[in-house]
Amino acid sequence: MRPAQIIFMKELREMFRDKRVRSGALVTPVFLVFSILLLFGFIIDTLARPENMKLSIIGSGPLVEQLKAAKVTVDVIPSVAEAEAKIRAGKARLVLEMPTEGAAPGKQVVVRAYFDDKDEKAQIQIAQTRAIFSKLSNELLLQTLETEGLPKEAAEPIKFEEKPIKVGSEQSASDFVIKLLPYIIVIYAFYGGMGSVGDLVAGEKEKKTLETLLITPVSRTDIAVGKFLALGTLCLASSLSAVVGLLLAGVIKLKIFEKLFPEGLGVSAMSLVLVVLVLLPAVVLFASLMLAISTRSKNLREAQTQLTLASLIVLMPAMFSQFIGLTDFANAMWVNTVPVLNTANAIRNVLLGKPELVPIAVGVVVNGVLGVIALAWAIRLFKQEAVLSST
Amino acid sequence: MVQTHELVKHYPDSKGTIVKAVDGVSLVAQPGEIVGLLGANGAGKTTLLRMLSTVIQPTSGSASIHGYDVVKNPEDVRRSIGFMSSSTALYGRLTAKEVLEYFAGLYGLANAERKRRVDEVIDLMRINEFADRLCDKLSTGQKQRVSIARCILHDPPVLFFDEPTSGLDVIMGQEVMRFIEGTREQGKTVIYCTHIMSEVERLCSKVYVLHGGTIRGVGSVDEIKTLADEPTLERAFLRLAEVA
Repeated sequence: MRPAQIIFMKELREMFRDKRVRSGALVTPVFLVFSILLLFGFIIDTLARPENMKLSIIGSGPLVEQLKAAKVTVDVIPSVAEAEAKIRAGKARLVLEMPTEGAAPGKQVVVRAYFDDKDEKAQIQIAQTRAIFSKLSNELLLQTLETEGLPKEAAEPIKFEEKPIKVGSEQSASDFVIKLLPYIIVIYAFYGGMGSVGDLVAGEKEKKTLETLLITPVSRTDIAVGKFLALGTLCLASSLSAVVGLLLAGVIKLKIFEKLFPEGLGVSAMSLVLVVLVLLPAVVLFASLMLAISTRSKNLREAQTQLTLASLIVLMPAMFSQFIGLTDFANAMWVNTVPVLNTANAIRNVLLGKPELVPIAVGVVVNGVLGVIALAWAIRLFKQEAVLSST
Repeated sequence: MVQTHELVKHYPDSKGTIVKAVDGVSLVAQPGEIVGLLGANGAGKTTLLRMLSTVIQPTSGSASIHGYDVVKNPEDVRRSIGFMSSSTALYGRLTAKEVLEYFAGLYGLANAERKRRVDEVIDLMRINEFADRLCDKLSTGQKQRVSIARCILHDPPVLFFDEPTSGLDVIMGQEVMRFIEGTREQGKTVIYCTHIMSEVERLCSKVYVLHGGTIRGVGSVDEIKTLADEPTLERAFLRLAEVA
């Protein structure tokens, strides 16, 4: 075995014996992604079902029965003044003042909605209530048109037809996966290694084990490369743990996930392979950069401070990647030259089922070159006498 | 054999002032000889050992270990030395045996030889009963035994000991001393750094008194006492180090 390989194996063994590493870098991503999916699944499932809605009503009449028919729970309030008091006290979200007359063809009744316009749940309840009444409203409109001898098309003078065109391969991931996964994958490629990189060099200085390692006949390049390989493996494993969390949600067919992934996860084996390929140069970059920071630091505390600052540089482009679809930048070539953003965007395109070779290649080359530069920097730092400074 | 000639190590401190950590040290240690480096904290002992073990490079001067130049043949030098210090630690999440196997690998011992040597030093240092225990769970004395085992794994001709008994109880301290005495009989060249006079008197055939990065006196314990015109080694050391 080459010395770098011996160091790699030893570092991996130490890492995986550390409970913090096992839980922080490997278990947490699985748990986090699965929990996020459970949470969003629950929210979407709740919002999609009006029977879970509880409304306060002023008055009574046929429209109230309409709500009850839609399985909305109704709580009667005597006056508008009381409705306002309840909303202000947070005891009601949406109060509807109902007309005493029922809706009928050719006439209009008014339903007044009282709510706090900063309350997001109230906004959702308004949309759900509108949907219930708009169905009835449309039926009445069609009856009116029929009575007047007008064609039903008169109800919609301009009909807007949506014709989605499939871009890329037939299989693409669900919207939620496309929004969430690139961000989580990239973040964990960095954060997964952040917990243990301090121990790799700065921690060894502090615990006085580095000197015994430097006194062995192994070259410092081998030492740095061995540590880099172990860290890179952990970063990759952590990132892939996040994918495992997603796949777990796909495999465990809970009812709660049905609205989240109506057509399944849509993540093919090929797209996973491409994701790993796109991720590798980013892992090289992150692992090298973190190793250099740990080597530069005099002790664990300094390393953690520097790594926290560095994590912001990763976090910001990663967060932007979540919203890149709302901008015109998703297909801009410059995006592929920005580390982190290029990886997240490439993963997004892979999951969308439209991986384009040139942008992905540009991102891979940029990250790979920067990764090699960062690794060379880390090795250079390792060769300096100051590597032993711990005070 | 260890030999240095006018060895110098200067480096700038955080304010940019040049610190003369080691300033023209020449010493010789022959095989079968335990040479003591006696100095107070900051005398330059650790810097000198770091140069000899090629962890840092000298500013000027020369040094050779077992015939290898510390600047020109650093890997050969490192292959020829064993270094043990009370301040160096072990990997807490590895067992004692795993630590020894790890270093045996780094010293380039082939698989069969590695296993044989690891078993040998485990027996020699009486590590058997805690060989499979994580180093974090070992007592100070047990850790010290593992450290010594690590240092002699590759059977180096030259051994450096930097305050090896520091932090040990009397019994373990005596055990370490007995082990070091044994290395002399095996023909090893030993450099022994300490500020404990009784250890020097017991072990060292030659003593270098180091202070402020320079050699203030050299000779046997008796010669040092005569040189300083003092009845005890401690007083002689203080006189030579100009701190009395």
